Amino acid sequence: MKLLLKLAVAVCASLAAGLVHAAINVFACAPEWGSLVREIAGERATVYVATTGQQDIHRIQARPSLIARARMADLVVCTGAEVESGWMPIVRSQSGNDRIQIGKPGFLEIAPVVPRIEVPQVLDRAMGDVHPMGNPHIQFGPAQIRVAANEIGNRLIRIDPAGEAEYRTRLADFTRRWNEATSRWAEMGAPLKGMTVIQYHRNFSYLFAFLGMREVGTLEPKPGIEPTSSHLNDLVAQQAATPARMVIRSSYHAEAPAKWLASKINVPSIVLPATVGGTAEAKDLFSMFDDAIRRMLAAAGK
Amino acid sequence: MFTKSPVVAAVALALTSPFATAADSDSLNEIRQEIRQLKDAYEARIRALEERLKAAEDSAAKAQAAPPAPAPEPVAATAPPPPPAAPPPQTQSNAFNPAISLILNGTWGRYGRDPSTQITGFSPSGGEVSPARGASLGESELFLSANIDPMFRGALLVAITPEGTAEVEESFFETLAIGHGVTVKGGRFFSGIGYQNARHPHAWDFADASLVQRAFLGNNYGDDGVQLRYVAPLPVLVQIGTEIGRGREFAGAGEFERSPQRNGKDSQTFFAKLGDDIGTSHSYQLGVSHLRQRSGAQGVSMFDYDDISGVSNLFGGRQRISGVDFVYKWAPEGNPRYENFKFAAEWFQRKLDGDFAFDTAGINSVAPLIAKQSGWYAQAVYQFHPYWRVGGRVDRLSSGSVTLDANAANLAVPGFDPKRSSLMIDWNPSEFSRVRLQFNRDASRQDLATGEVLKDNQLFLQYIHSLGTHGAHRF
Repeated sequence: MKLLLKLAVAVCASLAAGLVHAAINVFACAPEWGSLVREIAGERATVYVATTGQQDIHRIQARPSLIARARMADLVVCTGAEVESGWMPIVRSQSGNDRIQIGKPGFLEIAPVVPRIEVPQVLDRAMGDVHPMGNPHIQFGPAQIRVAANEIGNRLIRIDPAGEAEYRTRLADFTRRWNEATSRWAEMGAPLKGMTVIQYHRNFSYLFAFLGMREVGTLEPKPGIEPTSSHLNDLVAQQAATPARMVIRSSYHAEAPAKWLASKINVPSIVLPATVGGTAEAKDLFSMFDDAIRRMLAAAGK
Repeated sequence: MFTKSPVVAAVALALTSPFATAADSDSLNEIRQEIRQLKDAYEARIRALEERLKAAEDSAAKAQAAPPAPAPEPVAATAPPPPPAAPPPQTQSNAFNPAISLILNGTWGRYGRDPSTQITGFSPSGGEVSPARGASLGESELFLSANIDPMFRGALLVAITPEGTAEVEESFFETLAIGHGVTVKGGRFFSGIGYQNARHPHAWDFADASLVQRAFLGNNYGDDGVQLRYVAPLPVLVQIGTEIGRGREFAGAGEFERSPQRNGKDSQTFFAKLGDDIGTSHSYQLGVSHLRQRSGAQGVSMFDYDDISGVSNLFGGRQRISGVDFVYKWAPEGNPRYENFKFAAEWFQRKLDGDFAFDTAGINSVAPLIAKQSGWYAQAVYQFHPYWRVGGRVDRLSSGSVTLDANAANLAVPGFDPKRSSLMIDWNPSEFSRVRLQFNRDASRQDLATGEVLKDNQLFLQYIHSLGTHGAHRF
């Protein structure tokens, strides 16, 4: 036991020496927040991203590696709205890190501070894994990202006041580029306006709202419940009344049910990045939007 | 394309200036409205912009046409510092009510033999419970937890038994504000030794606990006391912990009558865990643990070494349990939704060192007892479909050595190695419900008179439902 402790102290000292160049450690629950923190903090932060674009953020387990990384974090940036409730509470309580507990500047959840859509009127688990605070997949809302950037900027300044000037400069620069990109996406996605789609899970509702697209069904009969054959048949039957132009799934969802439905109703089935890293092209928040819109345009033949 | 954007950007910036505190509902509503306006405005603006672009192109002959008015800079440098106000509301768990979750479970058990017969040759015992024969309600677990204040978190777990009594399984506080990787937990809690021990029955992968867990730790070993844990600041998980308690339970024997004369701190544990990921698809955790206990002068009742009725056996002395545990999990790309695999194995050794009192109407003989016994299990669970998992488990106990000294004349210790193999399949239509079918081939008991192994085929059909707050589970 003592040997282990000595070893731990030694490794930790060398690690601390190696990390002096970075002012703060950031633990991002999801890749979109990792990408956003990198935009605003640049070299001032070492960012650890807890999940990938291939993973369903609802179903992550409180793995030892996550506890170890949360232990060293100065700032944790999560989505909130219960999307991480299956793992983050354990990670937080096991970490022994006082800086990242609820109510501390080092704990930031984005969903509570941005406008949310699809807030359920009735809360009952018979409706599936509903999120009382509304749709938590806010990474595809350009306006939500802009607010998130401000919140992250605020927190970075509180935690690392020495970097204030740099954070402000980078935030202003990010906001300018984001606003430019937002208008570019509005323009680029204009041909998609009014298009009806079916999505696997409500991963892309914010993007559809932004582009004026309309979702006419989800493959999941209820949020978090896998597609059933009876539900898929309902969707096929529904096609006559409210035809969908494409079937969209995220990078972590199964291909088979989406493909089956798409072939039945004779429309393209496409995959969009669930978040940054969900596709090879989605390298950061900007390219994630570019890629998602480009993929939908390609499927729509526009 | 980019020539149009400054104007839209200007609009967008006017709507959301950096460092706005978007926390209060007023500004939220404002933002909602702004987004609506922004959306409505997009089309009109794009049209207007297209016209302007066309106009600009028309006048391109002049080449030096004035560019559109530059967007006002987001005044980053001059913006007021962020207010030092409290951070915005973070997590909603029923306003200030604790998060509540309720576990309902029940089992239909089919046994060929009496399930109340104990595992042969491992004593003290009595802390283990098998599901009853036929349809039976399991313990309903009520779990409440909340942050108490910035310093503490509290939790209560009450098991309501089918007989209608409520049992406090866990009731503890935990520190939030010490930092430096240190957490102190106090109250009644399941010990952090081993892998399976701290997990409540609803989170088990099988309908019953492993034989070694039952024989040495009595399903879940817990105590009233204090736990101290430390996580090292390393990129891999290195956690060490220790617990000091009253020794409310004698591990494996359950609660026992303690001497009222002692200010007991008769139980202490140590544990260490090492864990990390290997790539994105694999993760593991390796642990070692140690438990040491004293029974106090009162002694713990022993049975099962022999079947003689009317015997009152008591053990008084020390118990030391050491163990190694290992867990490995796999999920393709770290996404366990469709497919995942879990392997877990634990090995424990128990040493008893003390006095054994053999007491019948005719004899009362006290003599030293030294025992060294061990056991292990290995289990694998594979989820091959979002709803379905299959699993197998192998259990072995080794009778080891039991020296009874002068009492050897009074009773014989069976040199019997209990075994069991289990198969299970469960259906999980959501994260909140589970229905499980399990088959055990049990050979953990022996007829003490004839030496015949009491082989038994056991079948369980079990449901586990969780209501309320989405529970978070350990690795």
